[in-house]
Amino acid sequence: MLRLLDRLEEVLIAMLIAVATVLIFLSVTHRFAIGFAADLVGYARAHDMTSLNDTARSIFKAINALKMTWAQEACIYLFVWMAKFGAAYGVRTGIHVGVDILAERLEGAARRTITTIAMSGGVLFTAIITWIGTDFVWHVRLGGQTSPDLEMPMWIIYLAVPLGSALMCFRFLQALHLFLTTGQIAHHDHGAVDGLDEEAEDLAKGGHA
Amino acid sequence: MTALIIFLILALLLITGMPVSIALGLTVFTFLFGFSDVPMDSIALKLFTGIEKFEIMAIPFFILAGNFLTHGGVARRMIRFASSMVGHWYGGLGLASVFSCALFAAISGSSPATVMAVGSILLPAMVKQGYPSQFGVGTITSSGGLGILIPPSIVMVMYAVATSGMVVKGPDGADVLSASIGDLFIAGVVPGLVLASMLAVTTIWRAWKGNYPRQNRAPLSDRWTAFRESVWGLMLIVIIMGGIYGGIFTPTEAAAVSAVYAFVVAVWVYKDIKLRDVPKVLLNSAAMSAMLLYIITNAVMFAFILTSEQIPQALSEWIVSLGLGKVGFLLVVNALLLMIGMVMEPSAIVLIMAPILYPVAMALGVDPVHFGIMLVVNMEIGLCTPPVGLNLYVASSLSRLGLTEVTRSTWPWLLTMLLFLALVTYVPAVTLVLPQMLGM
Repeated sequence: MLRLLDRLEEVLIAMLIAVATVLIFLSVTHRFAIGFAADLVGYARAHDMTSLNDTARSIFKAINALKMTWAQEACIYLFVWMAKFGAAYGVRTGIHVGVDILAERLEGAARRTITTIAMSGGVLFTAIITWIGTDFVWHVRLGGQTSPDLEMPMWIIYLAVPLGSALMCFRFLQALHLFLTTGQIAHHDHGAVDGLDEEAEDLAKGGHA
Repeated sequence: MTALIIFLILALLLITGMPVSIALGLTVFTFLFGFSDVPMDSIALKLFTGIEKFEIMAIPFFILAGNFLTHGGVARRMIRFASSMVGHWYGGLGLASVFSCALFAAISGSSPATVMAVGSILLPAMVKQGYPSQFGVGTITSSGGLGILIPPSIVMVMYAVATSGMVVKGPDGADVLSASIGDLFIAGVVPGLVLASMLAVTTIWRAWKGNYPRQNRAPLSDRWTAFRESVWGLMLIVIIMGGIYGGIFTPTEAAAVSAVYAFVVAVWVYKDIKLRDVPKVLLNSAAMSAMLLYIITNAVMFAFILTSEQIPQALSEWIVSLGLGKVGFLLVVNALLLMIGMVMEPSAIVLIMAPILYPVAMALGVDPVHFGIMLVVNMEIGLCTPPVGLNLYVASSLSRLGLTEVTRSTWPWLLTMLLFLALVTYVPAVTLVLPQMLGM
């Protein structure tokens, strides 16, 4: 059950960033295509090429009929969802950085206490946000506000805040439990780079440095 | 007084080691419940709308583009290109590592990852050729920081985000327009090149003094092959800068296009990444971006509290009344940022400090773009100073030298960087010459 939740969280945020990237890429390509088709129409007209003119004109009409103006808005909302759930995933993998010089230097009970306080802070904050967020979403739902381009109900978009925070709160509780029972803290390695082993092997084989 | 309470709460929370984003958020709530009558609803709104700006979305795209190309294979190509070009000069591989770092950092955007990638390939090679490992560690630790100065730079986006929409007045009482992402990127080019050259000069001087080995001059054909291999990665910067400057894309669009380009290059041109590894890259980038966006959300709330308590304005009036002048103020800012840079991560510092310092700087007549680049240089130095310089940690684990030893090896380059900071701070032309020439 928990493994399923972990997996779902990972798939969701990876999908969101991928979809947003493709979407913005397509909208840029689309804008270029319109410009190109318009140029082609102009060129054909200037050179009296009737058949090319007709083809270009219909291409232009087809592309122009596709409206991509909603892409920016959609991208923002995709990233809002990614940010909230990604933050929860980040708690699990220990990506959230803090000022840990004091905690690193303490030992035994003092360290245990200060880390417990730090993690409880995370639990407390995300719990407050879940509460405020739920309240806010409820009011937006009653207000019936919709987004300008997509005309989606805003409360569905804003649902990311209470849902993401609730998940994040759960992740902080998990992390606290893990720390209190085993003393382990998840730590993200910010200097991690893939493919270095292969390079070291290349070097050993006499490859160029 | 209010300012003191807010910063005391923040400092107390931060010292426990909790994530910076959480500490910022809790500070806001503690202050709201305990000391203020700002309505809760206005804060809740910030919570939702804090990151709803298309410019901010450049961050996840740039991170994704960088992650596709943050790979040992790309580092090797950059190293090969750099060492074929400059390896035969004094400094040999040391000089090559400065330029490899500059190239790789510009693509990858992460300083610690640059130190890791370039260091793990070049350090062993340098030791094998008879360089003392202190020399290699010094060059790579310091030049790994070039990434946040050479565009595309996440820290610059953070500065643009933190200051955009702030209504501040210059010394003549007129409103000052905040710096755009495009302005900052273009402005970062010349300082980036100047710093790379200054680090190179230091490297050459150290190598000449120690009489370290040099490479044989690479034949032209080798240089051409190395260039052709690395050019695919380097095109990323061309696309971004050309696109933004040419007015073809907004910075966010440029970032998205560069992410797609990086994906194509990594999977089909360089073949460093297999298609089945792509979800992992996506996941890592999403997590990293989410962490930064989370800090932004909470920093926006924090800045909102500061503004509604009129703290930046009060601070600004106080500092102007002190009569420090531009010179004195910038000196104080540098000292303050270098100190904070020793214990905190760049993006968080910029998000917290920029809204406070920016109005003062503008009131004293500092150019917003110049001020931004100066902050970035400070952050760069912070990455190489103990006790919490990420670059130092990575270099230490790579070279198996202790943290103190790594710091000691880095000092000639660190001094160079401080000299460069003074140059950037007091000669605005270094920063502003290119944007002005391009008419931005």
